[in-house]
Amino acid sequence: MIVSLDWLAEYVDLPEVDALTERLLLSGLNHESTKMLHEDTAVDLEVTSNRPDCLGHIGVAREVSVLFQRPLKIPVASITSGEASQSFSVAIESKDMCPFYSARLIRGVAVGPSPDWLVHRLEAVGVASVNNVVDVTNYVMLECGQPLHAFDLNRLNGEKIIVRRATEGESFVAINHKEYKLTAEMCVISDAKQPVAIAGVMGGAETEISLETTDVLIESAQFAPLPVRSAARALVLGSPSSYRFERGPDPAAVEWASCRAVELILDLAGGTCIAPAIKAGSLSSSQATIDLRIHRVEQVLGVSISGQRQREILQSLGFVEQESASDATRWLAPTWRRDCTREIDLVEEVARIEGYDCVPEDIPISAVPVQRSPRERMVRVVSESCVAAGFCEAMTRSVVGDRFEEFSSPWGDVPAMVCRPPLVQGADRLRRTLLPSLLEARASSLSSGSSHGDLYEIAHVYVRRDGESSEGAPPIEEPLLLTLVTGGDFFQGKGFAAAILDRLGIYEWSAEESPKAHAGVEYGVTYRPFESAAMTAGRSAEILFHALGEKSRRIGVIGEFSEDVMKMCGCDRNSVGIELRLDGLEFTTKYEPKLLAPSSFPSIDRDMNLVVDEAISWASIRAAIESTQCDALESVRLGEIWRDADRLGEGKKSVVVSIRLRSSKETLSAEQANSFVEAMVRSCQDHVGAALRG
Amino acid sequence: MTNLNLDAFVADLEELRSEAERALVDAVDMQGLEAARVVFLGAKNGRLKAVQKGLGKLDREDKPVGGQQFNAVKKSVEALFLQASQRVESLSKNTKGVEPVDVTLPGNPVRFGRVHPITQTIRRVSSIMANLGFEAVDGPEVEDQWHNFEALAIPDEHPARDPLDNFYIAVANADRPLLLRSQTSTVQIRVMEQRKPPLRIVSLGRVYRPDTADATHYPMFHQVEGLLVEPGTTMAHLKSVLRSFASSFLGGDVRVRFRPSFFPFTEPSVEVDMEWNGRWIEMGGAGMVDPSVLQSVGYDPDEVCGFAFGLGVERIAARRFGVADIRDFYRNDIRFLEQFHDRGQA
Repeated sequence: MIVSLDWLAEYVDLPEVDALTERLLLSGLNHESTKMLHEDTAVDLEVTSNRPDCLGHIGVAREVSVLFQRPLKIPVASITSGEASQSFSVAIESKDMCPFYSARLIRGVAVGPSPDWLVHRLEAVGVASVNNVVDVTNYVMLECGQPLHAFDLNRLNGEKIIVRRATEGESFVAINHKEYKLTAEMCVISDAKQPVAIAGVMGGAETEISLETTDVLIESAQFAPLPVRSAARALVLGSPSSYRFERGPDPAAVEWASCRAVELILDLAGGTCIAPAIKAGSLSSSQATIDLRIHRVEQVLGVSISGQRQREILQSLGFVEQESASDATRWLAPTWRRDCTREIDLVEEVARIEGYDCVPEDIPISAVPVQRSPRERMVRVVSESCVAAGFCEAMTRSVVGDRFEEFSSPWGDVPAMVCRPPLVQGADRLRRTLLPSLLEARASSLSSGSSHGDLYEIAHVYVRRDGESSEGAPPIEEPLLLTLVTGGDFFQGKGFAAAILDRLGIYEWSAEESPKAHAGVEYGVTYRPFESAAMTAGRSAEILFHALGEKSRRIGVIGEFSEDVMKMCGCDRNSVGIELRLDGLEFTTKYEPKLLAPSSFPSIDRDMNLVVDEAISWASIRAAIESTQCDALESVRLGEIWRDADRLGEGKKSVVVSIRLRSSKETLSAEQANSFVEAMVRSCQDHVGAALRG
Repeated sequence: MTNLNLDAFVADLEELRSEAERALVDAVDMQGLEAARVVFLGAKNGRLKAVQKGLGKLDREDKPVGGQQFNAVKKSVEALFLQASQRVESLSKNTKGVEPVDVTLPGNPVRFGRVHPITQTIRRVSSIMANLGFEAVDGPEVEDQWHNFEALAIPDEHPARDPLDNFYIAVANADRPLLLRSQTSTVQIRVMEQRKPPLRIVSLGRVYRPDTADATHYPMFHQVEGLLVEPGTTMAHLKSVLRSFASSFLGGDVRVRFRPSFFPFTEPSVEVDMEWNGRWIEMGGAGMVDPSVLQSVGYDPDEVCGFAFGLGVERIAARRFGVADIRDFYRNDIRFLEQFHDRGQA
């Protein structure tokens, strides 16, 4: 709301401009800017949506009068003369959209330029002058906040105004000479034939005031906020008028504004007023009665404000004292303050006028112990691991284009949810995986000349589940994912995945049901080939999580990106992606590590060169070795794998397994070690058909 | 045979010692060392041997003193030789077959990543709030109307619910529309529904509003919102907590200022400014939790009251890191991300 200080001074004596804006700023009218004009000063004030009373100069003047304790002078608007006319009628068909409508007719006006004072005032607040009649309607709106509209009376068909719901598809040409298609959500002002205005939003070209106009109809009405807003929004026709109707002008101003406008028109453009006004409906005006307990102010603010001061403030704001007891007062809210309906509203009024500077800012705050949640700790741990491994954290959009979502998600089969409007152009799918987003970020970083493209992100995805929702719980899950992209091959990816899981204390099991539950740890993961359009077949895996007594579940995927995805994301360098589902793993942060004293006895290393069928997996060899349940088995590591059809036979491979043995109780003898290794070789023969090679 | 004067003998010894020291200290390789050994410690013609011969020429009464002096110098030269040979040995070990390096050449690359500046800011805010007793909480981003609007005193006809101002989910059940949350206050409602006061939480995470992306707006951004509900809470508590926060965040004793504002879920509502380098900087919105919000989660507004505040993370991060265009936070250019070293503040 731009305020002309010259204009404002009509209603209240003004202090110096900086003092004025500072005080307004601290009482709720945020000062945006001050513009010095030729003979005036324009001050731009931000008016919050609950204060339509300040969308007119009088409302702002009232604030100034309260804050600086100066009298407020509001002009009286009344029409004394006029001749009766019974032929014109107003009817409201849609009372929910328009509770009250009044029309005043003026005949014989001379439409022409406005006087300088009016032109200057309008210009000061950024409104261009049109002609004396239209300028008056704008002036009065900017004075009291009640929008008005002037029709060329002779261009209205059938001497009649009908306020009604628009019919679906009805067309209307607005003052801007553009044609609009209306919907049944909108309210129109119609004459006997057609719509002549979209209620509260904009008038029509057909009935606008022109230099030929001689007879004028001044509309002053109450329109419901919702139809005004939806029409202004849907047609992109926001106007100062719709802005005010959306917030609800003072009901008492409807009549005042109408009289005030007629007076000014008669004064500036001549003519005769046809009295009385033609009215339909009844003003919707509810003034709340509110009890304010004197001690409540201190209870909320933490500072005492005397009952006397509370009374002064509320009275100056226009609240009327109804009843008083020693500890409470009953107040009637003024018509222009429909935002005030409850005790807390009055507390706020007292506080903002008194000023929040009175609220202490150094009272002691009691200490309360607080712990990071398991999830927060887990996220910290994995994020630190990623940073230590050289990854930069990315933040990509939660909503992506449909091409990204063509690729299935490891986290749900139901198609992605769509949001309206799109988050940004072309992106309307709530993503179910972060992989393409991160690959795209990697590609763009690499192509812009970054030294690397190793990125990670921790974010939610949104997965709809099949089946109906149970009460209160929509079948939507929001898995929390950690996704990484880097260069290299599958094993590069698996290395990072395993390291991060390791950091969470989750180790790889050699078999889905480990015989040993890993040194008392009752959970672990296994890796299994995984098929997905986003990953290269044969070069990707899913990570399955197993815990004793629980159903196994997928907690991750790793893979070399497929050519399709690489192309889509514009990535031309080898890239591997890892996506881990973190929710559900929070429990890992609960365990404090307990020391397992390192053995002080020497270890014995042995290599086993096993020849197995190509199809035999490393995990199954490990499992065969571990199944001997040898207490002295410290580690099983892969030495090397080689293939040689001549020496090993077709379809065979040699796997060199490095075994480290160590006892916690004694120094192992070579004989003991030999017998352990022999048992392991036998187990490999039995379980995976391995042959020991020389 | 003339007798040797003791003083001359001692002077010879001293000269020998200092020459031997110079020679041994200067020796840089085995050859030099051996040469010095032969000259000074040589069993046949070594200088020490030669001086030893002079010992017999001393007067009888001078012999004990001369003998002591000789032994001391001999030990000293032997020790010098041992030192020198250790030094030469280690020297030769270090340089054997090894070219010296250009120490200004780069080391083998080791790279650390970075935490995103937005995450750093969230961590910093939440760690300060943790010191004030506020526990960090998170909740769903796809929300229902109850948590995003109704429980927050935003009724059906409120402009904030306009379809054009929210990201509604197209496939959701028409009776129960869902949307991407437009504020993290939704999480506060969820926590209040589950727990009883006293309560101190900060909800943080992504929120979504259909703003056209420009230098200061992005349709996806982050909020940190604090909530405290305890009997006897006043705006003085709110102001004091925010002042503590601002002082921790900026360092030093920072003043805060309240300006009246309007939010549906708080009353009174204020904008919070903090004084930064002599200027008032907008920090966020705050207020006392509206009684109707307390009622909607089953609290009695006459029994408990509380305050809430919200901070825009992007705005804080942009100011903190000198980022003029907040869209840069989402471009994920490594050259951008790598600039933000975490300073260990959170």
